[in-house]
Order: sequence, then structure tokens, then C-alpha cells
Amino acid sequence: MNKLKAIFEPLKVLDKKTMTTLLVAEAVLALLVWQLSGGGLIPTPDKVLKAVGTIFSMPDFIDNLFASIALTIKGMVLSIIIALFISYLSIVPAFQPIARFVIKCRYLTLTGLIFLFTLLTQNGGQLKLSLLIFGIVPFFVTTLLGVIDGISKQEFELCTTLRMNSWQSLWEVVIVGRLDQVFEVMRQNFAIAWLMITSVEGLSMSQGGLGVMLIKANKYVQLDIVFGTLVIIFALGIFFDFILGLFRHWLFPYTKLQTRR
Amino acid sequence: MNAYTKKQVLLSAEYVHLQYGEKKILRDVNFKIRDIHREGMEQGQVVALIGRSGIGKTQLFKIMAGLVQPTEGTVRIGEGQHAVKPGQVGIVPQNYILFNHRTIYRNLKIGLDNSGVTLTEAEKKRVIGDYAETFDLAEHLNKYPAQLSGGQRQRVSIIQQVLTGNKFILLDEPFSGLDILMVDKVIALLRKVSMLSEQNTLVIVSHDIENAAAVADTVWILGKEEGKEGATIKKEYDLCETGLAWKPDIRTDRRFLELIEEIKKQL
Repeated sequence: MNKLKAIFEPLKVLDKKTMTTLLVAEAVLALLVWQLSGGGLIPTPDKVLKAVGTIFSMPDFIDNLFASIALTIKGMVLSIIIALFISYLSIVPAFQPIARFVIKCRYLTLTGLIFLFTLLTQNGGQLKLSLLIFGIVPFFVTTLLGVIDGISKQEFELCTTLRMNSWQSLWEVVIVGRLDQVFEVMRQNFAIAWLMITSVEGLSMSQGGLGVMLIKANKYVQLDIVFGTLVIIFALGIFFDFILGLFRHWLFPYTKLQTRR
Repeated sequence: MNAYTKKQVLLSAEYVHLQYGEKKILRDVNFKIRDIHREGMEQGQVVALIGRSGIGKTQLFKIMAGLVQPTEGTVRIGEGQHAVKPGQVGIVPQNYILFNHRTIYRNLKIGLDNSGVTLTEAEKKRVIGDYAETFDLAEHLNKYPAQLSGGQRQRVSIIQQVLTGNKFILLDEPFSGLDILMVDKVIALLRKVSMLSEQNTLVIVSHDIENAAAVADTVWILGKEEGKEGATIKKEYDLCETGLAWKPDIRTDRRFLELIEEIKKQL
């Protein structure tokens, strides 16, 4: 009874076992409702599951999967390098306007820039990569600057009293001291990249990818394949998120000590 | 027991003013902290800066540390009495800021790394180990700051400054939020730190009159004078002169209780 009460109590932290049970129960309930409702236009879970099996047996699935993963990783690595470079430079006043401009680029629509990027790039691969980077970097820089702006003045004062110069303070407080948060930002932005990948892949279909699979299935109204692909994309996203979360705690063990859960 | 002499000036302020726009925060602050010598003892100085909340204690604290430039006047430091520069005075903030990504050992090591003293890694390890042993932190060296209690973090914060080689350490509200037993421990800790070196000078910024006065040899009252804008050091109590300094059981002394009452009236 107490456990039941606890799951409806605000700010209550549940133990791992109860939380897992709750998660599984809610997922099963949602699937059950979905199955029993008949789905309407949306294929029911059993049909989606069957479609997942069909997708796995498609000869070009593995190629498409690796094309998407490779593009995401490539895009992420380049975006991280560019975003970190811009963010760290923003600490030097002369470069601050550049960082502020990049942040505002969040409001530029990608669709309007496709033509420009097509002219600037040499092939479909480069076009997809550049659009992915252009789509991620402003969000990445925005969050990174938020992390930097959130550093308390006292930390820099501590560095001063420990006789550290500006460069040492920058290294200790902003770069090394916030590496865990940079990793978390990267994890969050990986989700954005994964979300964008299917849209970007549709721009150059010759190189394949999960996005291409989705577009083709949509074209032939194969809704079960569409949902099957979505389930695979969703599951992979969750898997990557989990792996990155594990890495974060392994690389930065102190992060686990500062959270409620 | 109380034979002492006051020698050269270690830290002083001359006509320090601080103003933000039209608002005058500090006015005409003057003080001198002298090196106190006690016969047969290695003894530093402990000054308590007492004032009401929001009076400008933290601003004066930052001026003394060279972190804020006064609108007028100068704070001078050392035997040469040159203008204070950031990094010459250590600070221990109220919330005991440490580097959360470093273990306690590495937090202490960064102090030693910047001390200007050339030591091998083995020597650094030995020095840190000695301090950790003295201040009951030996078993916590491999932990992260988030794993320590407030009192333990405070000790790490103080030792970090001591290891940097700072002879002058300012402590912001060191008794804040502590229970009575912890307060006694902190007082013992501050005494221990002040006795590490003849020139060690602790300035305790606090609104806790009794505890600050119990550990100090000098008490400054920061407050506003009638009709004048901005706070200044209204009164200085020399507890060495009145025989109220360096007594572990000072709280039971009637004269000390009278002093506390007098200070309260000054605020």
C-alpha cells in the first residue's frame, strides 16, 4: 500500500527495483491498449513486430543501418569539434559575437538553405553531412554556452586565490571542470542528430540509410514497415543513449554523486 | 601566559572606500594587523570582522583578498607593505567551493602545485598525507568533494589555501549552519591553522559574535555611524591587551560575556 502511495507522491525517489517494475508495467499496459484498440490507421504491435522481422531479413537493411550510424557519428564528431571550438573561443571577448550569432542560427530553417549547401558541396554525402552539422552546431553551442554561463564566479575566485592565471583557470574550471557536462550535452545532441538523420538522408537517397527506407515505405503506404523502421530507430536511439550514459558515469564517476537518483 | 609583543604590520588598509554608482558601501576603512609574538610559541593572528548581514562584510573581504578594487584607498600586505594582488590572500567561502571533478587528494595537490615551491611527486604526497593526518582527512583523500560532509569540505578548503602557501586566509562565515559541537571543532581547527606558522593570519568574517570573538585576538566591528552613509570599522577590540585572547575556556569568563554584550550594542 505504501509503495502504491509512493509512486504518486511528488519528488519521491523510488528504489531501482520499484522503478523498473513501474516502467515495465506501464510499457506493457500501453502495448496492451494499443493492441486491443485495433490501432486504426496505425498497425497493431504484433503487425509492427512482424514488420521488424521482415525489415531484418531485407538484403539492404544492414547497409542502410550502417549508413545512418556512420553518418550520425561522423556528423556528431565534427559538430562537437566545431561547437567546442566556438564555445571555448566565446570566453575570449573578441570572439563572443561569433558565438552569439551561431546561437541565433537555430532560427534559420534548413529547407531554405538546401540549395546553397547543394552548390557548396561536391556530392550527396557532403551535402547530408554539412546539413547535419549545420542543424546540430547551433543547438550544441547554445547548451554549451549555457553550461559556461552557469559557472559561479566563486570558482574563478578560488582559482585566483590558488594563484592560477586566466589560462589555468580556463583549463581547470571551464574545460576539465565541465567535461562531464559537455559529455551530457553531447549525449542530448546525439538524440537531435539521430532525430535529424532520417530527414537529411532523404536529400540524397543514393547512399541509402534508415531515412531512405522510411521514405520508400511511406511512398508505397507500407505502414507496418514504416512503424517497424521507427521502432528500430527508436530502440537504437535508446541503446545509444544508455551506452553514452554508462560512459559518462564511467569517465566521470563524481557525476553520479551529485544527483538525487 | 599572555606575554606578547606586536611587531611589524602584516596587513593594513588606508582610507578604503567602495561605492557602486550612487550607493556607498564602505567608507574610510582603516586597519592594521600586526605580527603578534608570544614567548616560546609559534602563534599567528586571528581577527574577527563582525557586522550585521548586508553591511558590506563580504565586499571588504573581497577587497582584502584583492578580488575587488576599492573606489579609493589601498590594502597593503606583507613586511614590505605593497598593494595586495589577487592570489596573495586565500579565501574560504561560506559554501566551501572545491573542484568537484578532482578527488580530495588532487584538490589539495593543486594548492601545492601552485605554491611556487619545487617538490617531487613523492614529497607532495608526503606533505598532503601529513596535513590530511593532522586534520582528520586521511581516509577521505580518494573521495570526491560531493562525498564529504560540510565540516570535512571546510577543512579541505582551508588546507588547500594553506598548501598554496597563503599566510593570509579570509574565512567567510565559518560557523554558519554548524551545531555547537561542530563549532568547537572549527574553533580548534582555526587555532591549529593559526599556529602552523608565526605569520599565519586568519580573518574571520562573521555575524556570529560569540564564536568569532572566542577564537580571535582582535575584533573589528563593521557598521554604520550615525548620519553617515557606508560602513566602516567603528571599533577595534584588542583581546590580547584585555587578556581575553588565547583562552580555551573564554566563554565562561564574565569579562568575555560583558564584551559580547558591548559588541552587540555597537552593531
